[in-house]
Amino acid sequence: MSFPKKTASKALGILQNLPRISLANLRPEPGAKKAETRRGRGQHGGNRSGRGHKGERQRGTRPRLGFVGGQTPFYLAIPKYGYNEGHSRRPQYQPLSLRRLQYLIDLGRVDPTHPVDLTQLVNARGVTVQPLKRDYGVQLVDEGADIFSAKINIEVQRASEGAVAAIERNGGVITTSFYDPISLGILIKPVPFFLRGQPIPKRIRGYLADPEKIQQARLALALKYGYTLPDISKDELYHMLSMRKDVRQIFFGLAPGWVVSMPEKKILKPTDEKLLKYYRS
Amino acid sequence: MAALRTAHPAVLRGALRLYIRAPGPPASAVGLRRVSDAAPQDQTGVPSESTEEYKFVERLVPPSRVPAPPPRAGPSPSGWTPPADAPPPLAYTVRRSRMHNIPVYTDTTHGSRRTTLVRKVEGDIWALERDVKQHLKEVMGTEPPTQVNEVTMTLKVKGHVDSELKEWLASKGF
Repeated sequence: MSFPKKTASKALGILQNLPRISLANLRPEPGAKKAETRRGRGQHGGNRSGRGHKGERQRGTRPRLGFVGGQTPFYLAIPKYGYNEGHSRRPQYQPLSLRRLQYLIDLGRVDPTHPVDLTQLVNARGVTVQPLKRDYGVQLVDEGADIFSAKINIEVQRASEGAVAAIERNGGVITTSFYDPISLGILIKPVPFFLRGQPIPKRIRGYLADPEKIQQARLALALKYGYTLPDISKDELYHMLSMRKDVRQIFFGLAPGWVVSMPEKKILKPTDEKLLKYYRS
Repeated sequence: MAALRTAHPAVLRGALRLYIRAPGPPASAVGLRRVSDAAPQDQTGVPSESTEEYKFVERLVPPSRVPAPPPRAGPSPSGWTPPADAPPPLAYTVRRSRMHNIPVYTDTTHGSRRTTLVRKVEGDIWALERDVKQHLKEVMGTEPPTQVNEVTMTLKVKGHVDSELKEWLASKGF
């Protein structure tokens, strides 16, 4: 059912029949322009001109902000403490709630049939990460853990225990990985990086976990949060769920050292031994 | 480091395996010749080209349009409800926003002035105002003051009633 707008056509009809607009027949809306206060003129602006009666107020010689007549002022009496010391060097992680993640999956912005990466989340406009503001990635927060019901393979930089439990309860897989600031900048904006023509760099690796201990931790978490751990190996999406990036890899499917040529839709791989040895290390 | 490296053999999937197996150009016996003297096809260090892995690059390109949500019947786990297939037979309609959500927004001015705005209204906005007032009277008990703007086709309601209005509009099928 379409509703054609009638107000615009009426206004156009009126405008077509009016005389030509000129400076002589223009006037501001009554009440739009308020006259300014001119100090030193007339009954209300004159006499003391809004400065008060005698003293520092009228004479304009008031002391600086924070001066309290000679007593030690508040901002000097309180001792210093390093609450904000080094604040610009602290790594920050943009929070992503499970509720928002479920919303993105429901609206089709994040595809759960492929591994979900920070690139996929930024492409879906689900999170905004600013590496230049000391952001080191995204962290999963467990708000919405009770309504979360999607089976995904997700890779974030930090995750709370409740979030890990919620994802594993639904049969998904969660990995935490480290991205140094340069790699993070490349990860969130891959297209401008490819247009630069530089080879994909090696990611600086973070701490690595022992896979046997991961399985034990999953079982312990399932016991703690009270759910049975579903067996992923029997899942039809097992291949997708078991895809993990290598420690030095930034993108899925692309290795460090490769140059991507977007206009020609080609990938150039190095063949020199020294380069291969460097990128493989 | 070596122990940690060998500890996850299964992790080295994906590109690195393909990368190690990728065939390079035949390394001709260059010997002591300078690279500049060699003919172009004899040079070692010329990168090899491939188009097989370009599909991974295509997955990284961000979409320029908002994707259509997958079809479903009823509300999703996150609370999102799709619009009804047939528009409801009323004198007005409330269109969905660009991101397929119901266009009801709250605002707070001066710290304590709370308003709710219903945007993207088409048709008889006064009928919508009457229905909104009647529904809020049933739900909240009071009839909050409302303001209709016929030029922008929006409805402003006093107070934060966005959750009630969103639920009501979704139940109507908008």
